[in-house]
Amino acid sequence: MRYLAAVPLSDDQKAAALARLPLFAGISADSMGRLTAVAGEQEFASGQFIVRQGQVGAGLYLIVDGSVNVVRGADHVVATLKPGDFFGELSVVDQQPRNANVQAAEPTRVLAIASWDLLSLIEHDPALALNMIKGLAARVRAAGDQHRH
Amino acid sequence: MAMSQQELVDTLSGLALFADLSRPQVEAVAHLMTEESYPTGQRILRQGFSGTGFYVIVDGEVAVKIDGTEISRLGKGDFFGEMSILLGEPPGADITTTRQLRVLHLGGSELEGFLRDYPPVMLRMLKAVALRLRNANRWRS
Repeated sequence: MRYLAAVPLSDDQKAAALARLPLFAGISADSMGRLTAVAGEQEFASGQFIVRQGQVGAGLYLIVDGSVNVVRGADHVVATLKPGDFFGELSVVDQQPRNANVQAAEPTRVLAIASWDLLSLIEHDPALALNMIKGLAARVRAAGDQHRH
Repeated sequence: MAMSQQELVDTLSGLALFADLSRPQVEAVAHLMTEESYPTGQRILRQGFSGTGFYVIVDGEVAVKIDGTEISRLGKGDFFGEMSILLGEPPGADITTTRQLRVLHLGGSELEGFLRDYPPVMLRMLKAVALRLRNANRWRS
């Protein structure tokens, strides 16, 4: 089995990875600093579950290295996410159980931001709240389009 | 007949979207938004066409239709139009009144500034959009 290099990300590398997300575009320098401080690095072996369907969401995850499969039911892969993609934000907002399993497809490194940290940032930074609404709205549209076609 | 300003503010204070605002803030919102009435059967937003606005239902009901199929109804306290404004896309559904409708209307270009000025409204909207996404996902699977 292949493992990722054990060298942890520096704060600058974390900030750079976070700043690339549209979700965090245009947020205040203060919010970005707090975000970097609370984002924790986690590693998962191939096949390991990152979140499980039915669990209440613990946070938002940003993929730094590797890839993950979003799996509904026993083995229905609905999406594969790559570095720069993120998941878990819906459960952060509504605190409802996760609607899918997310499983590492290979050795994978993520940045995890706990729900309460992200919610507190959303409450204090309107730009972040607005980005979050836009991101969820785009997914509502996409779900509607899939339904139609 | 239009409501008095006092009645309007009372009504708005009772809507979930504005529930976290102080009375003076609700009064400011009532000034900022335009009160409008529509008869039964009137189409307010048209799927795929430009022309947008943000609407909060004060009284009445609308049907939401995609490609002619009704997918839901919205009533007092519900809102519509924000998705296309925030995404910069034409409306994704037809919105048609099923009975006499009273709404508060805000021009599309004013919505982002409005939400930034009233963070509690933005948080309520965020939760509502999250709920919509949950429902859309459930519907699909």
